[in-house]
Amino acid sequence: MKPVQRYDNLLLKHWQQKINKILCKETDQSAHSMFKHHIFVLYLTGLACIKQIMMKRYKKWLIALGVVLLAGAAIVYYLFTLKYDDTTTVKADFTVNAMDFIKEFKQDMAAANKKYSEKIVVVNGTVSAIEMADTTANIKMVDTTNGAYIIFAFQQQHLGEAKSIKEGEQVSIKGSCSNGAFSNILEAEYITFKRCAVNK
Amino acid sequence: MKKTILSLAMVLAAGLLFAQKKTTTSAVISFDATTPIDALPKAENKTVIASLDAKSGTIAFEAAIKSFSFSNPKIQEHFNSKGWMDSDQFATASFKGSITNLKTVKFNKDGTYPVDVTGDLTMHGITRAIDAKGTITVSGKVVVATSEFSVKLEDYKVSGGAIAAGKVAKEPTIKVVAEF
Repeated sequence: MKPVQRYDNLLLKHWQQKINKILCKETDQSAHSMFKHHIFVLYLTGLACIKQIMMKRYKKWLIALGVVLLAGAAIVYYLFTLKYDDTTTVKADFTVNAMDFIKEFKQDMAAANKKYSEKIVVVNGTVSAIEMADTTANIKMVDTTNGAYIIFAFQQQHLGEAKSIKEGEQVSIKGSCSNGAFSNILEAEYITFKRCAVNK
Repeated sequence: MKKTILSLAMVLAAGLLFAQKKTTTSAVISFDATTPIDALPKAENKTVIASLDAKSGTIAFEAAIKSFSFSNPKIQEHFNSKGWMDSDQFATASFKGSITNLKTVKFNKDGTYPVDVTGDLTMHGITRAIDAKGTITVSGKVVVATSEFSVKLEDYKVSGGAIAAGKVAKEPTIKVVAEF
């Protein structure tokens, strides 16, 4: 044991004994409340002394630890408050024609999913239907020859745009392609999009 | 006589109208797996395919897992990853079942009817029988089916450190709203 370390230990022991002694005395004489304040002050001074000794020795490490903790907190905060950008501000990975897009999925669903899934795609086509409910306004483009369709769910801030689109209108929609699948209910292929907006 | 024919025709027309299977491609399924320490794991899928057969009482849903939209990109990534829903392999979740108290629902009369639904829920490649309570609301030609139930993620072999750490609920609530 190094002399300094021994000194630290002794100091700690000394304070512990002192506090214990006072505490015992106080409880015995049931005058605890009278000396409560003194005990607290003594305890704090002791702590401050120990802290000062520790600080001197481990200053570098303490600063490093602080920096690491702060950086960690910043990263966690960043990840937790992360939000998707407005789709209109995101660069599109692909621009396609609706009917060709459906054809590509029909021909090879797996390959098309690999290519387009979670990518930002601009789809140009004719609106077949607008399906509205309380909180939704989905735009659909249907291949009338086989019932296969693309459906676009709009980003919250762009819901208004979807509501103003008319059936039969030629539109360009930008969104995140979720994936294509075969529906057993409808017996047709479908491709879903999320976070969509009218492409301007 | 005219009146009888007219009312008969109306009954027939109504019968025909509801005999067919109603479908929608814009049903909404939302789930809430939030816990007191994490308010992020909740999402909504607004492009769910649903069908309701008023005559037989069968009801079905199909939801693409990747269509569940989160506000936070990181959480969405986790949700679709191999450790969670593994949406590359199990692209859709589906439900197939029926309304067991169909007789109490009058599809030709406006009103809100409580229903009991029983059927099979498939997700993450596992199919299990579930029972759920719901309502059917008839308003003119529009029929809205809603249900809220919870599933044990453990039953569908969805597990992860985040559940153990209390960041994701063990039994998330699932809400279904389908307007036909």
